[in-house]
Amino acid sequence: MNTWPHAAPHDAPHAAHHAAPHDAPHDAHHAAHHAERLLRWYPLAWRERYGVEFMELLMEDCAERPHSTSRTADVVANGVMARLSYAGLTGSVLEGTDQARASLAALICSVAAFLTLGVSMWSQLMIGWQWSEPDSPGTAVAVVAMTIAVAVFAALALCATLPVVWTVVRAFAQRQAHGLGRPVILIGLGLTILVVGSRHFANGWPGTGGHPWAGQGLVPGGVAAFSWASTLSITSYWVHPTALSTFPLSELCWMLGSPVAMAIVVVGSVKTVRRVHLSEPVLRMEMALAAGAASAMVLFVLASGVWMLNGGPGPRGLFTIGAIDRFALLSMVLSLLVAIRSLGRARRVRTTG
Amino acid sequence: MPRRTKRVEESAATAGTLTALGRYAGPATLILSSLADGAKHGYALTKDIEAFAGIRLAPGTLYEALSRLEGQGLVAAVPSDDRKRPYTLTAVGATALRTHLAAQRRTAEVGLKRLAGNWGGT
Repeated sequence: MNTWPHAAPHDAPHAAHHAAPHDAPHDAHHAAHHAERLLRWYPLAWRERYGVEFMELLMEDCAERPHSTSRTADVVANGVMARLSYAGLTGSVLEGTDQARASLAALICSVAAFLTLGVSMWSQLMIGWQWSEPDSPGTAVAVVAMTIAVAVFAALALCATLPVVWTVVRAFAQRQAHGLGRPVILIGLGLTILVVGSRHFANGWPGTGGHPWAGQGLVPGGVAAFSWASTLSITSYWVHPTALSTFPLSELCWMLGSPVAMAIVVVGSVKTVRRVHLSEPVLRMEMALAAGAASAMVLFVLASGVWMLNGGPGPRGLFTIGAIDRFALLSMVLSLLVAIRSLGRARRVRTTG
Repeated sequence: MPRRTKRVEESAATAGTLTALGRYAGPATLILSSLADGAKHGYALTKDIEAFAGIRLAPGTLYEALSRLEGQGLVAAVPSDDRKRPYTLTAVGATALRTHLAAQRRTAEVGLKRLAGNWGGT
């Protein structure tokens, strides 16, 4: 009967049988190396639980089938699924605080995607309003509602960040910040690049700086310009390479570099939230703030919809709806759905767990 | 260390079925059937299932199903000093497997009976 522990002595020679004796150490080393690389597809938490035994299985499978592409594809697919599961993005639900942290991480990703697209859209409208008020009530109401949503986002982000920062600072002070150093450095690096770069390009752009009506908009011109510069990469120019090639090199570099900086900030934030030990009250508070963020996202999407359905190009075409805006709205709706799903999962585990 | 919840444990345990596993019910049935005669580690499971079902579960699929089964309390890891950790069937898992196989047997009997009635053969 092929059962443990009887199987082990039987199976080991069986696996080794496929390798020539003089190649055995080399093959074993190769199998171990290959298994290690495959294991990296799985998230850290999964590897901590199943890594050792899974490595053993992979090594035995590699010894028996050295060049199996189907095994690689299977491990990659399941590893990616495990990463999505542990990020709270699939049907699997984790236990208690793990699910809350996973949901929080998924929310960070979806809100970051939403905000990038939303701020890109909003900043264009804000810059338009700096020059002239919209002549359509639909556009005016929509832009005001979007501005309120952005302000709510900013307030919620501040409230959500403070307790996490405090917890991280305490962890460093108590020398219990295992695995937090790198994510914190990532956040600092990404934010520095974003702030310095955005300020540079906002100051260098005349759109909000020199005209005689500066300051008549809904928000200060500097805020609009900073928001515009930070989301410069969200543009339909990407599908017009001839026009894009006329841009200054520094601007092109910023359009390529700023999304990378944003991604660095998001990755750092997600890793921090997944690794820091947040107390139950803090998690409850974060979930409540996340629900508020989801409401602000709904408001922003509705306002964008009103602008697109009711708005017009406005004076001098300052409020023209472009293809990039429709694409942004569609992507924001998808981000909102992911956020609501993550929030719902976190609540479900809290009520059932 | 994160562990999957027993989201469907209640339904799986009380109803004693594997239907809650969805698309993982196939690998889960094979794994539980293999563990029905004793504890096995990953590679032994692969070889046993290949021998009795003619299906080779790839490592990723095997451990995806194993981790779900463990999360739902249908199998349990056996403490071991070996790097190959064996798994054993739990009482809940045995009940779920029995119910699931009985349902499959009823389906198979109906299908075979109707085939014999309408299409002949043995």
